[in-house]
Amino acid sequence: MNWTLNLLLLLFLVTTAAVAIRLRDLLAVAIVFSAYSLMMAILWTQLRAPDLALTEAAVGAGVTTVLFLITIFKTTRRED
Amino acid sequence: MRRAAVIGALLVIGAMLLFAIGKMPAMNSRNTPDKTHVIPRYLEKGEAEGGAKNIITGVILNYRGYDTMGEVTVIFSALCAVVALLDREKRGLSRSGPDASGVRSSVIVRTVVRFAFPVILFFAVAYMMLHGEGSPGGGFQGGAILGASVIVFTLAFGLPESTRRMPLKVRIPLESTAMVAFLSMGIIGLAYGVNFLTYLLPGVHGAMAQTVRNLMLTVIEVGIGVGGGVIFISIVFAMMREDKYELQPDVPQP
Amino acid sequence: MNFSRMFHNLNYAVSVLLFLMGLYTVAVKPNLIKKLIGLNIMETSVFLFIVSIGMVEGGQAPIIVEGVKSSQMVNPIPQALILTGIVVAVSTTAVALSLCLKIHERYGTLNAAEILGREEP
Repeated sequence: MNWTLNLLLLLFLVTTAAVAIRLRDLLAVAIVFSAYSLMMAILWTQLRAPDLALTEAAVGAGVTTVLFLITIFKTTRRED
Repeated sequence: MRRAAVIGALLVIGAMLLFAIGKMPAMNSRNTPDKTHVIPRYLEKGEAEGGAKNIITGVILNYRGYDTMGEVTVIFSALCAVVALLDREKRGLSRSGPDASGVRSSVIVRTVVRFAFPVILFFAVAYMMLHGEGSPGGGFQGGAILGASVIVFTLAFGLPESTRRMPLKVRIPLESTAMVAFLSMGIIGLAYGVNFLTYLLPGVHGAMAQTVRNLMLTVIEVGIGVGGGVIFISIVFAMMREDKYELQPDVPQP
Repeated sequence: MNFSRMFHNLNYAVSVLLFLMGLYTVAVKPNLIKKLIGLNIMETSVFLFIVSIGMVEGGQAPIIVEGVKSSQMVNPIPQALILTGIVVAVSTTAVALSLCLKIHERYGTLNAAEILGREEP
């Protein structure tokens, strides 16, 4: 297992999670959450789990992000 | 005040969890009991007992088949909950907010989606669902990619176009194929006198047994894939729909 | 501080950190969609923890191909469990977002403090 890549991926994971929690514009939060799903999918590949990587990539980017975007479009876009 | 209390509680929980992690063995070690006793048994007998080269498919369909049946039940009841909350699709044209504004996607997006959509569909069906036993893949992965491809089509071309191609009377039978596939394959085991969801039937022997088992596994995988994909599509269609727009008087009723 | 030991267990520590971040979001932020994002972060952090337990140094994916002996593969059982977990996570998110849509239709806002304030007798 590649330690450097693992360390970088975990760092990106924590950073995108922190940014997603901190932003106030909900549209940007949905997009950053999609980036978080992508980091998670690459991490599954590093942990030698190809089925999980495929499922997380398809479900995280394809379905969860679209559901969040639909809800944000139909309700408020700002947090306050 | 409340934030300080929450942060204090989280620090206490974090300290306890990190202390527990400090006691765990190192991550990549080979000496832990699960790696010396449990895994070799499942890896060596995984193909013979599970019936697939992809050991994970063997585990989720054979060793833990009931869990997969429960997962199919969960996603189906999620669909029921979403449709119950957001009203049944009435007869007539479904519109969503972006469609009603009259602005279409650009030519580039439409052309790329038109070329990419059949390729993605082929990948999902032929490489994921049907070959899931020999390579990374499996039923649910193919279903998720299938659902995602139709969602991309809907985002590029609009909800009326998508609903015209997959109307309600096509989606309703397909949503239940996952559960129907599981139950029918399980009842075959009961009909032969062995347990529910058995793939090695007592009447068949030799090479025929392997063929029958592969066939049953493929039927279950395709069922989970198609069912899961259409359930995702139905959930997104139900959430995208807006019924507050007045239909124009000359809209044709299907 | 044994740094190589900390590197080895970094996946576990990061998953605990993500769990705490998600829990903070659910407890403190008033917007309902933020709370759902926090819930998703908590769920994925637990998945990371469970799959990291099964990792073996220099291991290969658990698929039987030519030239890979079964003693070199990673643990397949946590991966099969988490596959079901990912499906349950997306189902929960879908139902929760539909509830958010209905709440917005009824109350006009997605702020939990305001909604609770209006429900006071």
